[in-house]
Amino acid sequence: MTAPVVREPGSTREACALLAADPWGTKVVSGGTALVLMMRQGLVAPQSLVALWRIPGLAGITRAGDVLRIGATTTLAEVAASPLVRSVAPSLAHACSVVGNPRIRNVATLGGNLAEADYASDPPAALASLGARCHATGPDGTREIPVRDLVTGFYETVLDHAELITHVDVPIAGPGRRATYLKYRTRSSEDRPCVGVAARLDADERGRVRELDVVVAAVAPTLHRVPAALDAAAGRAVDDALAGEVARSYAEAVEPLEDARGSAWYRRRMVEVLVRRAVQRFTAPEEVVRSA
Amino acid sequence: MPEVGSDRRMHDAEERVVGTVPFVLDVRVDGMAHAKAVRSPFPHARIRSVRTDDALAVPGVLLVLTGADLDADPEVNPYYGSPRPDQPALAIGKARYAGEPVAVVVAETAAAAAAAAPLVEVDYEELPHVVDANEAARPGAPVVHDAWPDNGCGSWRVRHGDPDAALASADRVYTGVYHSPSASHVPMEPMVCIADWTGGGLEVWSATQAPHAVREALEKMFAVPPGGVRVRTLNVGGGYGAKTQVKIEPLVACAARAAGRPVRMELARDEVFLTAAKHAATVELTTGVRDDGTIVARRVKVNYNAGAYALSSPIASGQGLTRANGPYTIPNVAIESVATYTNTVPSCPFRGAMTSQLAFAYESQLDDIAADLGMDPLELRRKNLLRDGEVYPTGEVMHDLHYDELLDDLERAIDWGGPPEPAPPGKARGKGIAIMLKNTLTPTRSEARLRLVPDGRVHLDSSTVELGQGSHPTLLQLTADHLGISADRLVRGFPDTAHTPYDTTTSSSRSTHAMGTALERAAADLKRRLRALAADHWGVPAEEVEVADGHVAHPGTGERLPWEGLLAATGTGEVVGEGVFAPDFGLTLLEDPHDVRGRVTVHWHQGGAAAEVEVDLETGRVEVLRMHANCYAGRVVSPLRVRQQNQGCAVFGLGPTLFEELHYQDGTLTNPNLSDYMIPSILDVPAVITSSALEAGDESAELHGVGEMALPAVAPAVANALFAATGTRIDRLPLTPERVLRALGEHDPVKEETG
Repeated sequence: MTAPVVREPGSTREACALLAADPWGTKVVSGGTALVLMMRQGLVAPQSLVALWRIPGLAGITRAGDVLRIGATTTLAEVAASPLVRSVAPSLAHACSVVGNPRIRNVATLGGNLAEADYASDPPAALASLGARCHATGPDGTREIPVRDLVTGFYETVLDHAELITHVDVPIAGPGRRATYLKYRTRSSEDRPCVGVAARLDADERGRVRELDVVVAAVAPTLHRVPAALDAAAGRAVDDALAGEVARSYAEAVEPLEDARGSAWYRRRMVEVLVRRAVQRFTAPEEVVRSA
Repeated sequence: MPEVGSDRRMHDAEERVVGTVPFVLDVRVDGMAHAKAVRSPFPHARIRSVRTDDALAVPGVLLVLTGADLDADPEVNPYYGSPRPDQPALAIGKARYAGEPVAVVVAETAAAAAAAAPLVEVDYEELPHVVDANEAARPGAPVVHDAWPDNGCGSWRVRHGDPDAALASADRVYTGVYHSPSASHVPMEPMVCIADWTGGGLEVWSATQAPHAVREALEKMFAVPPGGVRVRTLNVGGGYGAKTQVKIEPLVACAARAAGRPVRMELARDEVFLTAAKHAATVELTTGVRDDGTIVARRVKVNYNAGAYALSSPIASGQGLTRANGPYTIPNVAIESVATYTNTVPSCPFRGAMTSQLAFAYESQLDDIAADLGMDPLELRRKNLLRDGEVYPTGEVMHDLHYDELLDDLERAIDWGGPPEPAPPGKARGKGIAIMLKNTLTPTRSEARLRLVPDGRVHLDSSTVELGQGSHPTLLQLTADHLGISADRLVRGFPDTAHTPYDTTTSSSRSTHAMGTALERAAADLKRRLRALAADHWGVPAEEVEVADGHVAHPGTGERLPWEGLLAATGTGEVVGEGVFAPDFGLTLLEDPHDVRGRVTVHWHQGGAAAEVEVDLETGRVEVLRMHANCYAGRVVSPLRVRQQNQGCAVFGLGPTLFEELHYQDGTLTNPNLSDYMIPSILDVPAVITSSALEAGDESAELHGVGEMALPAVAPAVANALFAATGTRIDRLPLTPERVLRALGEHDPVKEETG
């Protein structure tokens, strides 16, 4: 492995051009926590890296009306600690606060986390459950991609090689919104999730389901979601029975993978337990955001 | 004011926190080149040929060395290992595990070496391989070393009383098979070594726990006279057993010899995983008891997985033998302990060495027996405890045992009699305790030297390695008291085999006792020489000279001089005191490994742990809420450091208890990195973690090492707490949530809770 050349473009346009010029030999680097590990393990061997750290305007958290905008190179620690995120999207703040350890979170970025497409990651499920959209720019212009649809397989996304995520927009809801992220680990507290469940409830004035979304991470190559079960929840009271039904649907529908964190058998069981627990959080009067 | 008994802080505490203390990792030598190993992708394969052209074409590459090159060199004996020199610096003829070095690339830069290593083309012929030690022990299994066709890598037996008859006549007989997987030590600093032949001899820097063992091995390899090899180390960034004996030094020394330049090699994290691991073990345990709980017989058969090369397994399996009985008085015992070669990463001692696997077995089974008899587990232990005056299976009449106090302490600390806190719905809580017994490396040798120099300071020459365990301040405190001076007057550098005298190893929890005793003797020797020098100077009988408070004095004449004044007055350059601790008995000096009789240790290590756990009945996840760790510490140098060692044992032990495990697939280690192999983090430390050190009352009591005492008790304490909480017994580590959930299902199927 020869050390790659690091290029530091000053604009996204320049960055995309560098990527387009060498589709096989270049990789984007932001925080580097994922890429450098892969390079060390010999899984990728780029000849040059396109670093995003000199591009102005890619980092930062702002609010414009009912949209929370998070720049791609904002670190997970910044998202987790942001008073704005904690107030309007607490489940996202929590999901970012439980990734790895402080050394990771202080350099890993939200855009990098999404683009890596690691199946066993916390923030993407939380973002997807909130209806977040990432904005990408490339040689052919810019486009919006729902986070839910971003990942297509193991470490694969719909992004073109020369496309960059610039920011993520998270819709901010009014009253009646509840959201949670439940991370379940089977090994150390620094582990990736065995199962991660992000749930969002938009309830009507009587507390009934207007919209429920449940997104499960780490059980399949892509985020696991069962639209039929969510549709069937509409208009229902939020109670243990609903939580149990949704949980069973998710457990039945999942095609679980297996890894060192759990077998397929175990993951299916845990999908049911954890989805149920996540939805049950909405039956309590006060939302408690904490890890499993 | 005496130093011993006070909590003197490490002299470099601040530097440790901010990261400025020197490690071998930081050492650079002028003109050095860099080495990268080419490793076998196959667990067992004949090496047909090695093509190096492409690797040599990489700019900056100086040479590629292969096992065949070493084999053809009449001036090098490429095989090392003590007691069994079975390991070549580079695989010769065949590779015996996936990850074994088969060639080494030396280049101007580490990057060039790393770039060239994958370009070395090795033509392999795959051979059948074996990963499991029990399979490897069966006839017809793949043979790892032709010289040992039964894959035997150590075989020991002890027989005491008539176990067959006693088991036949026991009221109840319990049999269990207990499994501990292999694990990785994960020292923070990787193995790193610099070898340099350019000065005439061989100079080596290495992050090692045993500099003199490395020196001896290299002298043997290169047929250099004793002292021809110099090995230095600095602070070592954690060892836990991984840096005992000899590891990468032979390979780096061969590379440097071929290059004619200093060569540095620093292992990447995955290579650390591929260099040394914990012994996986299977323990078959049969125990016969009377209905009143008296243990009348025990049969133990343990098979340690040695991995592909012996390292210390031929003897370590014997250490296991001496510990397998556990801290109980059992009149009829048969123990068989073997180590078996397999095509896996070579195994070496892992903190709590050879003992954790055994304590998990005997302490788990004891709680099962208690449950079956309807007895309190604590009472069952008290009924059978090994106490002073009782006979151990090796024939030794035991003394200085303190298990009653240890159990009392565990009982208090975990509030044994009180019920656990009520568990939230869907969870269960329980408490468990366990104790363990362990010997220390015997025979063994520690030498120490104390040099009084003209400025009045005393240099302490000792090869004990500072691994972060605090042996440096401990040895300073001990020496200061023996000399009757302040520790501030002592100067100590790092181990350097050219200057610091022989010491077997910094492991086996032996340094405080072994090196401490050598220093006590060196201090006495220094004082004796000072007395003689003063007596000569003043013309008085030596026995009338007093040595105290950094002075020599003769009360009769009123003469009194500070030590440095005596040196000045007599024109003496320095005064040297020497001390040796070298017990002339022990395991390896016994006549018959198949009939172990006699003393095997200078003293017995004693420790225990208690845990309270909460089990999530739906997920199987075990959370340790409270943990208490204790040990018998003899005469204590620093109470704080002893407690910290116990706490360290508790935290370190939680990894192999709950989740640490090396996984092999098709003979290849699949999780050699810290993303796929987890160790406990600060957030995994139980909310309440306490520890205590039982100190000897009198000042003449022995010093005890304390680095591993509570560790072997951690896993069984947690497993027993899980058993108390759920009635579920797990006989295989780690206690993963999935394993627990499956066991809960078998024991009492979890209801499908749908709310």
